[in-house]
Amino acid sequence: MSRASTVPSPTLDVLADGERLALAGALDIRTLAAAENHLKQQLRQRKSRSLDLRSLSSLDSPGALFLRALREQGVKLTGVREEHKALLDLVCGLDLKPLPKAPPVARWREVVIGLGKGADTAWHDTLDVIAFIGQAASATLHALARPQDLKLASVSRQVADTGINALPIIGLMAVMISVVIAYQGVAQLRPYGAEDLTVDLVAVSVLREMGVLITAILVAGRSGSAFTAEIGVMKARDEIDALKVMGMDPMQMLVVPRLLGLLITLPLLTFFSDVMGLLGGALTTQALLHISPVQYLDRVQHAVDASDLFVGLVKAPVFAFFIAIVGCMHGLRVRGSAGSVGHETTRAVVKTVFLVIVLDALFSILFEEMGL
Amino acid sequence: MTAAVPRQPILSARGIVNRFGRQELHDGIDLEVLPGEILGIAGGSGSGKSVLLKTLAGLHRPNGGEVRIQGTPVERIDNAAKAVLLGVLFQQGALFSSLSVAQNIMLPMRHHTRLPVPQQERIAAMKLELTGLPAESGIKFPFQLSGGMVKRAAFARALALDPRILFLDEPTSDLDPLTASGIDALILQLNRSLGITIVIVTHDLTTLFTVCRRVAVLADRNITVDRMDRLMKSGHPWIHEFLHGPRGKAARLGALSARRQSHGTG
Repeated sequence: MSRASTVPSPTLDVLADGERLALAGALDIRTLAAAENHLKQQLRQRKSRSLDLRSLSSLDSPGALFLRALREQGVKLTGVREEHKALLDLVCGLDLKPLPKAPPVARWREVVIGLGKGADTAWHDTLDVIAFIGQAASATLHALARPQDLKLASVSRQVADTGINALPIIGLMAVMISVVIAYQGVAQLRPYGAEDLTVDLVAVSVLREMGVLITAILVAGRSGSAFTAEIGVMKARDEIDALKVMGMDPMQMLVVPRLLGLLITLPLLTFFSDVMGLLGGALTTQALLHISPVQYLDRVQHAVDASDLFVGLVKAPVFAFFIAIVGCMHGLRVRGSAGSVGHETTRAVVKTVFLVIVLDALFSILFEEMGL
Repeated sequence: MTAAVPRQPILSARGIVNRFGRQELHDGIDLEVLPGEILGIAGGSGSGKSVLLKTLAGLHRPNGGEVRIQGTPVERIDNAAKAVLLGVLFQQGALFSSLSVAQNIMLPMRHHTRLPVPQQERIAAMKLELTGLPAESGIKFPFQLSGGMVKRAAFARALALDPRILFLDEPTSDLDPLTASGIDALILQLNRSLGITIVIVTHDLTTLFTVCRRVAVLADRNITVDRMDRLMKSGHPWIHEFLHGPRGKAARLGALSARRQSHGTG
């Protein structure tokens, strides 16, 4: 982009004539490092300590600061040009204090402090989530009890944003995941001559786990982050306070529609993802094992029953609840500048994905114990 | 336009045209900035003051015309030369939020010079002192500063490499009157002692009356450049309204007394 400029870079010469030292050229921030090295050597070799500045063509404030330091070391500055006097006087007149240093902290103490701070924030985060769940639940129940307070238009917009607009990407992901499972299934089961069981493998894993998990993680990344960013920007621009001062509850206006919207869409998206996952399985098994769609359907019916579909779908509203809660909570936690919006968004996404996976693990144990 | 000045302009803009879609902001603007002067750029909201400033600083490529700084087209000046030639004080300060104030000031030095760190720190401390910030503010982060301190810190960073031209975008906006007067005084002091050429975009009438020797008024997509006292007599309706409105009068009186205080004479 940048071509060579015609502005020449400045030069500075240190002239030594017997005992006399003189500077000629420009003493500015670009020539300062060289000048310092040069002068130090020259000054060390001489007894008389004076520096002539008559031929100095330009001087800037770092240069003047350097001259001030020389003067303080006992070097006499002679022949200062008229136009440099003001600057030199200004810099010499400044009451300079060194920059304070942040007290250094030992590495091991930093680790301990970090650990303690981390534990403290984790604890406060947990408390915050619990408190926020209470507030959001009460606001939601309130809205459901008094439907005239419910912002149906907002809810439907959230359903469109988080649900309908997410269909293409979620469908594609579900197909891809079932392709992966089917390929792995065929490869691993073939040595045992059990590659026909690939259909069972795909159907069970998609319906019970993969469909809902992939959907929840995608929605957490797509909509949970959007919740944090939208609400966070509103918070940073005082829009939340504007709502409050006009007698509107931000919980009611912003959190409840998002929560209800996601509670509606995530189960539906999960079902869609299950269907697309099974479709992907059908395509892959037909390509790899030459199982016709009719055979495939027959096989799926044999392999899974309603409880498998139920086990997958029942998790969706729970995930939706936590994605919406964490997303909105971090949005409302934005403080001050726009910079913290990005920070909170990252934290919200990490936390929701973490929560989704932990909850999924807990569900697995629960359903195993229940014998589902 | 102005009294004949024999000096070469340090910055000259010829025939600047800026368009956004159908909206034409500038229609062939000519502007010359003389070395060592303080030039104000005034105009109503939406008249394209900030766009003009960005054009002059080479941050925005105009749809037509050319900006030359010391005779070189601004887009052909390489980065290192630009850094020591131009400084910009952005309206919101634009301090890097992940760096402390001192690190903000030292960043261009670290990038463009080979000075040892202790010396960079001494220079940064000097810039803080020059702009009227205590040395302790050097280790603070931008979010810990008040509005006036942000402006001063941004000033210090814009001055990091002692640029020849300093562009100030609304240096006194969002500041209380006392702090704003402090900034005005700082502008005058830097101009006088460091000999920096300063271009100020502002609609703060007090700043225009107090510190600017010449003012360029943007109105009707064109520009009128003149000394303040002559602009006062201008027949252009917007300029007349701008300078003779109630705020104009108050600012003029305030500026007179401010100048008397800072100069001794008016």
